[in-house]
Amino acid sequence: MEGSSVKAERPTVEPAASDFPRLREFGGIWSPEAIEEIHEKADLGRYQIRGQATKRKDFPSFDDLVFVPSGLSRVALEGYRERCDTQVVIGEGRVKRPLVLERPIMIAGMSFGALSVNAKRALGMAATRCGISTCTGEGGMHPEERKYSSKLVYQYLPSRYGLTPYDLRKADMIEIVVSQGAKPGTGGILLGLKVSDEVAEMRTLPKGVDQRSPCRHPDWLGADDLPVKLEQLREATDYAIPISVKVGASRTYDDVRLAARGGVDAVVFDGAEAGTAASPKIQLDHAGVPTVAAVGEAAEALRDLGMKEEVKLIVGGGIKNGADAAKCIALGADAVYIGSAVIIALNCHRPLYVDDYARLGTTPYECCHCHTGLCPVGITTQLPKLVARLDPEEAADRVTNFLNAMTMEIQLFARSCGKKHVNDLDGNDLRALTHDISLMTGVPMVGLNGRVPAWRKF
Amino acid sequence: MAAVENKRTLDCAGKATAEINQFLRNAAADGVNEVEVLNPQARHNLAVSITDPIRLVFRGHVGYYAVSLCDHVRAEILGSAGWGVGDNLMEGEVVVHGNAASAAAPSLRGGRVVIKGSVGPRSGIGQKWGDLIVGGDAGYMTGFMMQKGRIVICGDAAGSLGDSMYDGAIYVGGEITELGNGVAVVEAGKEDLDELREMLAGYGIKPPKGFKKLICDGTLHHFDKKDFDVWKEVL
Repeated sequence: MEGSSVKAERPTVEPAASDFPRLREFGGIWSPEAIEEIHEKADLGRYQIRGQATKRKDFPSFDDLVFVPSGLSRVALEGYRERCDTQVVIGEGRVKRPLVLERPIMIAGMSFGALSVNAKRALGMAATRCGISTCTGEGGMHPEERKYSSKLVYQYLPSRYGLTPYDLRKADMIEIVVSQGAKPGTGGILLGLKVSDEVAEMRTLPKGVDQRSPCRHPDWLGADDLPVKLEQLREATDYAIPISVKVGASRTYDDVRLAARGGVDAVVFDGAEAGTAASPKIQLDHAGVPTVAAVGEAAEALRDLGMKEEVKLIVGGGIKNGADAAKCIALGADAVYIGSAVIIALNCHRPLYVDDYARLGTTPYECCHCHTGLCPVGITTQLPKLVARLDPEEAADRVTNFLNAMTMEIQLFARSCGKKHVNDLDGNDLRALTHDISLMTGVPMVGLNGRVPAWRKF
Repeated sequence: MAAVENKRTLDCAGKATAEINQFLRNAAADGVNEVEVLNPQARHNLAVSITDPIRLVFRGHVGYYAVSLCDHVRAEILGSAGWGVGDNLMEGEVVVHGNAASAAAPSLRGGRVVIKGSVGPRSGIGQKWGDLIVGGDAGYMTGFMMQKGRIVICGDAAGSLGDSMYDGAIYVGGEITELGNGVAVVEAGKEDLDELREMLAGYGIKPPKGFKKLICDGTLHHFDKKDFDVWKEVL
């Protein structure tokens, strides 16, 4: 059939959907983004993978809550003179060497592999200066991170990459990872370009392989086994350091209850807005419960058990400033986990090396190409020439500044609400802007002055 | 010069797990050659995190995570073992005379775990190095996501054997119910087989007539849309 062999000419460079003006009549289900997504899958033959976090804008958020600071009915603390303490202790009265955090902030688990060694160094330095912790993430304890971070949380994951009894003893806290907020119920992904010689060696993997981590622990499966596994890790760490369980927010009430009953010193959960270096995009957008909606559930589970003081609640997922953190604490968290925010403070998204962003087909502010291993600013890469672009000292200064600013913001809300300790903030210091957030968090609606809504009469 | 103490005995009856493990760690740190452990009574977490060289003999069954997170330990269990025996062993040897439950030798990093009887599902899971030897049969998903090292199964192996293995080799003497994804059967070389037979003889395990050798076929190392049928199963 001669006719069918004629090939149509195809332009070599296809413009992106964003290059075309948006006309209102082209809205609906088949938006330019939905069309582009299908074209990409039709080319790839698999689901899309990318870094960063969900880009959904319709999740309920901490922005739907406001503080109701002091007036005549409450007395505020003097902003520049009166103390407002920030220390949080995990495992107090439970283990020999509790984890003392000078601020209610912890740097979330991000692996060496996902991050460059310079990023790990910078985070360690900044956290040490601020008296807070960093976390190894998957892939083992990098000696440089242990060197620079004075309070190091060691993740115990299904893959057990790089796990040794010696590193367990070097840790300041163990975090048993069950799932993560960005992709609950699935394992990590580290694409081949990031599996460098050093990463492959630490994880015992073939160099350059697309690593897919398991999502289930090899030797324990559920809540019944957890106390036995906990006893093993307590034995391995001489009952000295706290142990937490981390789960992505899904059935939060039940998960927190089971973990606390299992005997952990802290429960960590991260909501659906949590970050990742590589995840299926479809899962980022459609799995898990948003952070603000899950905090109240988690706190309620601990209160119902009478363990709210004893077992600490650490919450992460999309926390970007002191307001988010203070609201999260007011809803029941003892400390917040931040990952993406400190990565951005390192230099992520900064408009440097703009040509390299363009080569990745993106712009500095839209970039979510952590998964490629070609990070233009040297954070989520293992390529030496890119890693060198991140100066650890300078980056540590930026992260320290950001952590200081965030701490001041948390204190600002606490003082203005008349609280001498940031963890004295509670739900009574908040009001909800929407019915939805009021129902989710139990925080009263603005403008109702605590009145029972009219519909309750029917 | 004080003579090296050859042997201590520990009776687990009535003792807390922490007390038992501390006794064993102290004995290893003191350079004692051997501890005989009486009445283990299938308790969990016996001999956890012992990293000085010592020989341990358990006179009875042990529960979950026996001889786990250890280095340089040589242990003999004169009974059966619960889940996760030899978990994360760095170097050394664990010999179980009976059977082992699920996930025997998970994330083994070195040394050797020998089960003279059979093992449950998910044994040798995430194995990083070293040898896992099974005298009898192995449950499903044995060798799942294995990374390096050797698994030797003298009897039969259940389904999903070696599924998603990155590297390493699995030898099976009996029948295989079903191969896992990304696994290829290759011919075992004479040197391989001679070494296996010698190794098995050292533990008094009668070798089977022959072995099938399984390795990673590399299809799951990188995504390729041509292999969709496989990726549909594993992703």
